[in-house]
Amino acid sequence: MPTRKFTNRSLLSGNEAVAQGAYEAGLRVACAYPGTPSTEILETLATFPEIDAQWSVNEKVAYEVALGAAVGGVRSLFACKHVGLNAAMDPLMTSSYTGILAGFVVVVCDDPGMHSSQNEQDTRWVSIYSKMPLIEPASPSEAKEYIKEAFKISEKFDTPVLFRLTTRISHTKEDVSIGQRHVPEQPAFEVNIKKYVMVPGNAYGRHILVEKRLKKLKSLAEKSRLNRVEMNSKKLGFITSGVTYNYLKEQYPDASYLKLGFVYPFCDEKIKQFAKSVKKLIVVEELDPFLEEHIRGLGIKFSAKDPSFRIGELRPELMPAVVQGQVKREKKTDVRKPRLCQSCPHWFTFAVLKKLKLIVAGDIGCYTLAALPPTSALHSCVCMGAGVTFNEGWRKALPNGKIVGVVGDSTFVHSGVTGLINAAYNKAKGVIFILDNSTTAMTGGQQHPATGLTIRNEPTKKLILEDLCRSCGADNVDVVDPKNHKEFEALVKKRINTDALSVIIARHPCRLIKR
Amino acid sequence: MKKEIYNIVFGGIGGQGILKASEICGWAALYSGLHVKKSEVHGMAQRGGSVESHLRFGKKVFSPLVPLGAADYLVCFHKEEHARLKKFLKPDGTDLAGYLDKAQSVIEDSKYLNTFLVGVLAAYLPITEKNWIMALDKVFSQKIAERNKEVFFKGRGLGKL
Repeated sequence: MPTRKFTNRSLLSGNEAVAQGAYEAGLRVACAYPGTPSTEILETLATFPEIDAQWSVNEKVAYEVALGAAVGGVRSLFACKHVGLNAAMDPLMTSSYTGILAGFVVVVCDDPGMHSSQNEQDTRWVSIYSKMPLIEPASPSEAKEYIKEAFKISEKFDTPVLFRLTTRISHTKEDVSIGQRHVPEQPAFEVNIKKYVMVPGNAYGRHILVEKRLKKLKSLAEKSRLNRVEMNSKKLGFITSGVTYNYLKEQYPDASYLKLGFVYPFCDEKIKQFAKSVKKLIVVEELDPFLEEHIRGLGIKFSAKDPSFRIGELRPELMPAVVQGQVKREKKTDVRKPRLCQSCPHWFTFAVLKKLKLIVAGDIGCYTLAALPPTSALHSCVCMGAGVTFNEGWRKALPNGKIVGVVGDSTFVHSGVTGLINAAYNKAKGVIFILDNSTTAMTGGQQHPATGLTIRNEPTKKLILEDLCRSCGADNVDVVDPKNHKEFEALVKKRINTDALSVIIARHPCRLIKR
Repeated sequence: MKKEIYNIVFGGIGGQGILKASEICGWAALYSGLHVKKSEVHGMAQRGGSVESHLRFGKKVFSPLVPLGAADYLVCFHKEEHARLKKFLKPDGTDLAGYLDKAQSVIEDSKYLNTFLVGVLAAYLPITEKNWIMALDKVFSQKIAERNKEVFFKGRGLGKL
């Protein structure tokens, strides 16, 4: 049995490998808001004292801080889950025009199969939309290696680089080699109004450069070793990327492969050449027909998965059906559904909301589980912060409805607060519950401004939620422990019958917080 | 090693220490100089829901997931999850579910169930005692490593060597 040396190897998840690779690449600044499956990237980066790591208030803020650092001249990283990127799209789109000074990598973790998400959007499309390159590893060891490449490409082509993982890469552990940190020399920052002030005149000039950059990146994609041809039998060839490559490799070890790692811009010539060299060509990818649609546009004949497989994640045992173009046969799953922990404070809150037969505008967090039977007491969940704003919209449509909104403490700081300001400004009424368990619970208990601790658990300025709500313009702000059942229920009854904008902070710490 | 690749599925419900169990085995395989991949479950699914961790090791591993019907060993932590998890097992695979009852008479606290079942599994795997001990020392803090080693060896003694 040939053995590997283990002395310099560690068992790292894809997320930890991204962090280790970025550390070795001399990363200086890293920002994120927690979100499964991306959370461990920043948690790992925060263990390196050389890196300035932060939990930001939300993804837009995180992106801007990290971008600012990269424009200032230090290698920076932003990490988020797929839906988190939506919140950061505003700075992202224009950062493609400004470019950077030192390397900037945008790590996005997609969640095919929605293990812990509200949709299964495919981030690869963002590369076309933003005209930024996209790199996709297929394993933790590739993640560690490719992230270093991403920093180099970012600097060479003056562009942020999208780095896409999926849950099965982020949360797969592999034995990965550990290397030394090398910090590149910091380039000198100079004021450059034409490059960094995106007013129409300047942005026009930058757009010309972005299109030129895309051409240059295309020729890099053609020769990049990240787009790897593995010629075996010429009877059957696959074009694939990410974890799907690994599933195929075990089922079809004798086939030939064009394994894409530098996914966008597309390596058209390499694709055409590979297509010519095999008798039967099959394109296999998870989620959307991203590769499929482009390759079809090149006039190449190939087969691909049935559209029914665009829904949900792929698994190794599905490969024969996918390859043969069969329709997906939905199997009834008998997995145990997640539920709120025993004695979780949210149980007490939702018991009262249910008893009072309230229509509850919900949000993203552990408390979203209150929508599941038998509680069934949460009636919407779209995105971060919408518990507050849905309340306002629903009340316009249903003036006689008994409507309230709920939002978690971390979620309120993320983007609920803007909704509360909006409600006060536009004279909206109703009751908003901040379900304050004093942590970001669903993602494993991360700190946020209202806990008064940083990502490294160091004390910092603490955001006082009740003061903030008053400043936003709430007429009544009450703080109550939902486990004090009678007091809580009496207060809720009182406030839902008050013609005002009220905030009830239901405060009881999560039982999972380490003390 | 007898097999090209060893396929092991650990499963139960959130909070039973399933990820820790596959972590110990992952490190033991790494210390044996093998290529290791293992899958984990984080986030919402962990909140009392079904939790699975797949571990694969050998000369070269591609997929991080064990396909249905391909597991050599099934390490089940919860009886109610067994029917679902059994689909992963090969027709001639080894099901360690029988040790779940034995565990109750051997360990005094359910928090040691994961280490106990790893011990049982260890009796079936071609990994040296030295590498198991290194893995236990790696995964557990110094304070609790000794107690876990005792539990591990109890399990290993009961497993079919």
